[in-house]
Amino acid sequence: MSTDTATPVPTNVLDGAVEEYPRDLRYVWVALFLGAITLVEIATYAQPHFAVWNWGDKAGLITILLLLMALKFWTVGYYFMHLKFDKKLLTWVFYSGLILAVLVYVAVLSMFRIWYPGSH
Amino acid sequence: MAESAIKEALAAEVGHADHDTNTGISNTKLAMWLFLASECLLFGGLITTYLLYKTPISTEQGPAPKAVYDIPFTSVSSFVLLMSSLTMVLAVSAIERGDHHRMRAWLAGTALLGSTFVAGQVYEFTAFKGEGMGYTTSRSSSAFYTLTGFHGVHVTIGIIMLVSLILLSLRGKVPQHRAEAVETVGLYWHFVDVVWIVIFAVVYLIP
Repeated sequence: MSTDTATPVPTNVLDGAVEEYPRDLRYVWVALFLGAITLVEIATYAQPHFAVWNWGDKAGLITILLLLMALKFWTVGYYFMHLKFDKKLLTWVFYSGLILAVLVYVAVLSMFRIWYPGSH
Repeated sequence: MAESAIKEALAAEVGHADHDTNTGISNTKLAMWLFLASECLLFGGLITTYLLYKTPISTEQGPAPKAVYDIPFTSVSSFVLLMSSLTMVLAVSAIERGDHHRMRAWLAGTALLGSTFVAGQVYEFTAFKGEGMGYTTSRSSSAFYTLTGFHGVHVTIGIIMLVSLILLSLRGKVPQHRAEAVETVGLYWHFVDVVWIVIFAVVYLIP
């Protein structure tokens, strides 16, 4: 059997995905989207007084940065790591580990009273 | 190429077809996802330690990490690593089309972008050391170097895996029906990228 064929092979045959992987152009668009989010993140540093994130004594800045971070994280996982196209079990496996980590370490940070500046 | 032909090719290569778990997902892929889930706990611990120690106590010498950060430089490094995820996913896409030449080109591009990131990190560490923030200067500097250093080691391991894949492909050991090997390495690479997304925001940008 030739291993150098141009015939497309269904992704579910190659690695058990339940949905066909997208064309390359979709990945490029996703990368551009991620690049745009990164630019906004950098803008929060370059223009700290911009009204969109300059509110609530840095609460606005922290909120915006955490939301952008979560959006980038989710986008890479969903498209580049193929969670959108693979069996849902993999999503559960990964996010179980992630959520467990977040809960454990939020508990640790709370124990050290990190949410109250100057008290830890 | 039909599913049966792929299974026959696998059987001819290793004496039997690859086994799926009873979930229908291959052992390799499920194991990689479980590993990545466990890595969340590792990096979570390192990030938590950094958050607890990021402000040096008054008796410690040397600058705090926040005082020496070069955000514009780190932003470029972050962008480079982010784009390496694009080249990685294009490599996976190429091998699934049976385009070995493009797969090797994208893998080489990914390794090159990863190397640029690691080189940037080495430069950054050297600059920080020059400004008086060594590994043992303070507990905050130790926490910072441990976190970012661990990530750098992960990127380096990823580069070794990418180069290994290229060499194996040149020897004809990564045929189209073995596309999952490239996908699995890709999962590791993307994870390294998402960890940096968190580090960049939490360590460098959030005040």
